[in-house]
Amino acid sequence: MGRLVFSSVSRKFNNFQALLDVNFEVENGEFVCLLGPSGCGKTTILRLAAGLVAPDEGIISLDGKKIDGVNKECGFVFQEYALFPWRTVKENIEFGPQVKGMTKTECESISKHYIDLVGLNGFENHYPNELSGGMKQRVGIARAYANNPKLLLMDEPFGALDAQTRNLMQGELLRIWETEHISVLFVTHSVDEAVYLGDRVIVMSARPGKVKDIFDVKLTRPRIRTGPEANIIRDSVLKSLSTQIKLASHEYI
Amino acid sequence: MKNLMKILFLIIIAIFVAGCLESEKTPQVSEPINLVKMSGQEMVQRLGTGEIAGFIMWEPYPAIAVTKGYGKNLIFSGNIWTDHPCCVVAYDDDWYKKTNNSDEILKRMALVQLKSVEYINNAKQSDSPDHEQLINYTMQFGGMTDPVAANLSLADVEFVYNTNVAGTATFIQKIQDFGIFDTKKWNMSGYNNAQDYADSLVTNNYVDWAVNNKDENISRIALEEPVNIRYAYLVNDIHELPFYIGWQKGYYRDLGINIVIAEGAPFQNGAFEMQQGFKGNTVDVGSLGIPPVIIHRINSNDFSNNDTKVGVIAGMNNEGSVIVVANNITSLKDLQGQTVGFPGQGTIQHVLFLMEADKEGLKVSY
Amino acid sequence: MKFETGKRGLLINILSLIVFTLVWQILVILARNDIFNIPFIRLRDIPTPVETWYALAGSMFTRIYGPSFTYGIINHVYASLVRVIEGGIIAFIIGVPVGIGVGYSKFLGNLFNPIIEIVRNMPPMAWIPLSVFIFVSGGSIFIVFIGVVFPIILNTIQGVKSTDTRLIDAAKTLGASESMIVKKVVIPSALPSIMTGLRIGLGVGWMAIVAAEMVIKSPVGLGYFIWNMGDLGRYSEMVAGMIVIGVIGYIMNISILLLQRRYINWVD
Repeated sequence: MGRLVFSSVSRKFNNFQALLDVNFEVENGEFVCLLGPSGCGKTTILRLAAGLVAPDEGIISLDGKKIDGVNKECGFVFQEYALFPWRTVKENIEFGPQVKGMTKTECESISKHYIDLVGLNGFENHYPNELSGGMKQRVGIARAYANNPKLLLMDEPFGALDAQTRNLMQGELLRIWETEHISVLFVTHSVDEAVYLGDRVIVMSARPGKVKDIFDVKLTRPRIRTGPEANIIRDSVLKSLSTQIKLASHEYI
Repeated sequence: MKNLMKILFLIIIAIFVAGCLESEKTPQVSEPINLVKMSGQEMVQRLGTGEIAGFIMWEPYPAIAVTKGYGKNLIFSGNIWTDHPCCVVAYDDDWYKKTNNSDEILKRMALVQLKSVEYINNAKQSDSPDHEQLINYTMQFGGMTDPVAANLSLADVEFVYNTNVAGTATFIQKIQDFGIFDTKKWNMSGYNNAQDYADSLVTNNYVDWAVNNKDENISRIALEEPVNIRYAYLVNDIHELPFYIGWQKGYYRDLGINIVIAEGAPFQNGAFEMQQGFKGNTVDVGSLGIPPVIIHRINSNDFSNNDTKVGVIAGMNNEGSVIVVANNITSLKDLQGQTVGFPGQGTIQHVLFLMEADKEGLKVSY
Repeated sequence: MKFETGKRGLLINILSLIVFTLVWQILVILARNDIFNIPFIRLRDIPTPVETWYALAGSMFTRIYGPSFTYGIINHVYASLVRVIEGGIIAFIIGVPVGIGVGYSKFLGNLFNPIIEIVRNMPPMAWIPLSVFIFVSGGSIFIVFIGVVFPIILNTIQGVKSTDTRLIDAAKTLGASESMIVKKVVIPSALPSIMTGLRIGLGVGWMAIVAAEMVIKSPVGLGYFIWNMGDLGRYSEMVAGMIVIGVIGYIMNISILLLQRRYINWVD
């Protein structure tokens, strides 16, 4: 399970129309990437899906259930990791199980499983300030997974990493996702990343934030980044996006 | 650097442990009487609220506390030591040296002292025509509103003008025995013994002159050029009533001495008067207890080329301090482990209390 | 606060202390021999470092002279430290919850802020006359409390307010309730600030205790000690007491820094 539906969702912040009549869905087990110029409300969509903010109009539902209040069935992965700096790797991963009131042994078996899964063996007792960016994001992913979510919300999770690590982490993410298959809504500003990862790519327009185009990426994994099919899709996504970027930047000129 | 921090940490812990051991040890020797410094007003107030078990203080505070019913007189200082010297008139040596007729001025100050003391001793009798006037002066100077307290406060003070040199020497000896002198400073001072020091402190010439000239016509012996004298005294201290009488009745003025109250006066205790007044050169002549004079001339003197001297020219009073205790206390022994107010270290009351405690075999802590 | 770690740094530190002591010694000696004096300052009355050192050694432990029991500096340090620690503990117990409440809840913030803002501007010393008569005993502990509690409250508020909102969001999506968020996110994240508040507070409290002991009656305590030594004209003991006050304050400060570094080692 894990079918996320946005129907006619609008949201204003003060006088700024962040989202207007947004409609899309993430099918069960699907990997969807959200692309768009900055300020198009990508992050707002994630926060709405997580229940951290409520829509002004429209309905957001997960598996047919309307999201009201914090959505505890989703896992959130942040761009700047947002790990608890006073907790070790292990303790960060155990946070979700702990607040759910699981016993110590249950927590430990969960954290052990996910430490194995994300490949952080030997770093269980390190604090986040002792880890590299890529390792921190592995912890972020493990922490989100440890809560056994139906939906993974990722807000530019690799945006702060260097290109090499970024490619590596994309591969790692897919490996983990294929092991434990759940729906993913992945926000990025990189067309490359979106086409490499997503089953579908949603391109948004800005001011107000709206869904502009949706592209299916029907390529088998593992994908070849520079393959001809990928290039064709990337071209059309870029074209759709660039008009948006021009429009958005026009206001600043 | 980390090791340095560890060492510092250890030091603080060591101080703690040592402090614990020390305070564990203290009561086992004997339960000491805790002397705590406070002002006379506080003593009366705190005795009233039961915060302190007693106090030793100059009049009028004992009289005030007793009249208010807060406590009772336990021991008069005259019973600790009969005719012990108390307040004296002293001059600053710097002033003495730079004033060319200082000897003449001091002679006349001694004369005022003599006249005031004679006036008080006469007016103290209840049938004296001056009695009411004296009580009024006493209430004004002592900050009292109750004539009963004023009468009571005069009763145990013996007003004198002679300086008790032998008594001064005894005080010096006691102060030395009680560890109040800085031993190094005492050795540097060059005095051989207590008598030696007492002799150098006290000059009796001025009082002698006063006795010889007390019946002279005032206008004949008055100074030709009136002088300003910056005078300091202690707050509400009935012992120094002769000064107030001399000032209010114009004895000083008649002899050509203009009294200017010194900066900072009246002082809370003799130690302050020594530190701020005499050492600070804001006081020419002043009255205060003899122990602060004795102590400060030794302890706070650097004994290099200029010796901060203070000389004593006349007495003010003998006796006149009282150990006052809460009504449920019957002897000094009952004060063990209790808090007792006193006007500060190195005051006459401090030394008297130590003497009494010594007699009773008690310990005093501060 | 950064320490110079190399040998050079340590050397400069030691050198500066030596030069300071030398200048002190020379100035006093010159003044005593009437060679040089600063106007309006009685430099000759200041004890020399050598005299101070002997005074410190001589008055470290309790001495008995006939009937009199003169407490040693160690007793005075202990008495003052105990007061500061007692006042500090009370201030910590009260200050941290108040700081968290005021920092986290807008309602509590609006409710308490005006009081805190006014009362914190009254220096601890200004409370001494009041505490002299409202407290039968422990007035000086109260003065320490006043000195310590406001730095703790203000730093706690600041720590709580600067909690990363993404951490709170993360905790929310991981299923934490409001009280769990306070307990498991807000408090740990404010901990370095709270410790800083404690450190600053104890520094203020240490200064306040010395002032309080000069006025509030108790037979032991460093403030009382230096005041009494002044009364007796024993200025070298007095200055020794002052130096002890400074050194203990310094040790307290770096001890807490040390604890902070050792146990809050997750700060970037």
